[in-house]
Amino acid sequence: MKLIDLAALDHEEKSTADIINSVCEELGFDYASYATMNPVKGDVQGYANYPDEWKIHYGSHGYHHFDPTIYQSVLSIAPVDWGRFNHDEKFNAVFRDAHDFGITSRGLTVPVRGPFGECGLLSVTRNCSDDEWEKLKRHVMGDLQMAAVQAHDTVMQSGVLAKALYLPALSTREKEILQWVAEGKSQQDIGDILSISHRTVEVHMRSGREKLGALTTPQAIGRAIGLGLIAPG
Amino acid sequence: MIIVIDGINQHKFKDVLDEMYKLRARVFGDRLGWDVHIKDGRERDHFDDLHPAHVVSINDEGDVVGCMRLLQTTGPHMLSDVFHTILDGEAPIRSSQVWEATRFCVDTRKLGRGRGENSVSYVTSEVMIGSFEYAKMAGVLDSIAVIDPVMNRVLQRSGNAPYDYLGTAKPMGKVVAMAALMDCSDERISGIRDYAGIAHDVFLTDEQALDLFAGAKAEAKPSVANFDHQPLSQLEKYFVEQMNSATSKDEIDAVFKLIEELSDRFTPEQKTALLSTPRAFAHEA
Repeated sequence: MKLIDLAALDHEEKSTADIINSVCEELGFDYASYATMNPVKGDVQGYANYPDEWKIHYGSHGYHHFDPTIYQSVLSIAPVDWGRFNHDEKFNAVFRDAHDFGITSRGLTVPVRGPFGECGLLSVTRNCSDDEWEKLKRHVMGDLQMAAVQAHDTVMQSGVLAKALYLPALSTREKEILQWVAEGKSQQDIGDILSISHRTVEVHMRSGREKLGALTTPQAIGRAIGLGLIAPG
Repeated sequence: MIIVIDGINQHKFKDVLDEMYKLRARVFGDRLGWDVHIKDGRERDHFDDLHPAHVVSINDEGDVVGCMRLLQTTGPHMLSDVFHTILDGEAPIRSSQVWEATRFCVDTRKLGRGRGENSVSYVTSEVMIGSFEYAKMAGVLDSIAVIDPVMNRVLQRSGNAPYDYLGTAKPMGKVVAMAALMDCSDERISGIRDYAGIAHDVFLTDEQALDLFAGAKAEAKPSVANFDHQPLSQLEKYFVEQMNSATSKDEIDAVFKLIEELSDRFTPEQKTALLSTPRAFAHEA
C-alpha cells in the first residue's frame, strides 16, 4: 500500500492544490488535506499543504496505514471532529509526532461518499481556543461540505475511466432549471414558472452544480452548455 | 432522548441497534407490510452495512421507541438504488448538502395517544428534531425522506410539513412510498419544538445513552407516577401476581410477552401503567 502525493503528478497539482489552499485562505484554517483510498489496491492518494517535513515523516513512518483521521472518519456520514477519537496507541502515534511538527490535534474531517461506494476525506486543522473552534465550525461547515465534494470529484475525474463514469447524470428538472438560469431568470421566477417552491429550485440547482463539479451557478451553466446538456440562453 | 449511532460508536451500541432492528421488523414487516427482509425478528438491509447514521430515541424506561436512518445522497442510497421508480426515471439528487432519511418509525405498541412524553407524537417530533439538528451541525441544508402517506399526514399535522415532493407517490408492495423534501432550518426545528413542547437539548452522550439503556433494564425503580397505580381488572391483577411469583428473567419476560399479546384488551395508558407497575412490584419482592 503506497502513499501517493498527488502534487507530484503535475496534471493533478493545480486543481486539488487550489481547492485545499483556498479552504485555508477563505475559511480560516491552518492546514488542509484531501485523501482517498483506492478500493482495489488500498493505496492512499492525497494532497496536503502541511509542511514538507511532516509529509515526509508521515509517509516514511507509514502513518497512512492506521491514521484515525482516515480510518475512523470513513465510518461517519457527518463531519468528524477529531475530539471524538479515542486517544489510543494509533492516535497517540500520529498526533504526538504531529505536535512536534507544529500541527495541532484540533481538526475535523469531512467524509464524502461517491456513487461507487468510494470515500474521499477533506481534513482541516486550526490551532485555537474551544470557543473559537466551535464558532468556526458552525460558520463554515456548509462551505467545507462543498469543498470536500469538489476536491473528491477533481481527483476522481483524473482517470480516463472515472471520467467516463462521472459524466453528469442531470435530471430533467435540473436541466430545465439551469436552462432558465441561462435565460436570465431568477430563482423566484423559475419557481413561479415551474410551479414549485424556490427552495426546491435551490435544491435542484445545488445538486446540478455538484454533478457538474461547479462551484458557482455561472460555472455550472458554462459546463452544461459545453456538454450540450442545455442550449445557450 | 436521542442518541446518534454511526460507524464510529456502533461497537458500544450493539444491544441498542439490535432493539432498533427488532422495532423496524415489527413496524415495517408486521404492521405496515412493507416488502422488507426480516431474519430472526430483525429487519436489516445492505444500506445498514454502509455505516449510515441511526438517530435512535430511547425513553425513560430504557426502551428503543423510535428511529430513523440517514445516508449521504452523494453515495449509494435508497432513492438512487431501490426506490428510483418514485423518481419517474429521473436521476436522483446528489448533493453533499442533502441527506436521505429512510426507515423512519416509532413504536406504537409502547407509545400512546396524546402529546405526553410517552406518545407517538412526542417521539416522532423528538426523532425529527434529532435528525434535523444533527444534519444542520454537519452543514446539511435539506433532507429527502422516503415515507408513506400516513407518515406524511403525521408530519403535516405536527408543524413539520414537507415543502415539496420529488417524482410521484408509487405503490411499493402493499403501501405507497413517496419522496418528501424538508429543509434542515432553524424555522422548521423551532416549529417542531413548539408543537411538541420540547425545549431541552435532545441529545444524549454515548455514556448517558448506555446508562439509560442498561440502567432501566437492570434495576427498574418504582417511579412515583406508577407507585400508586392499583391494578383494577382481573386481568391486571393476574399480571401482577405472575410478576410477583416470577423468579427468573425468563419468567419476567414471559409475563411481558403475554401483556404484549393481550395489549388490545386495554388502552395504551393502561398498558404503559401495566408494563411499569409489575416491574415496580417485582423490584419490591
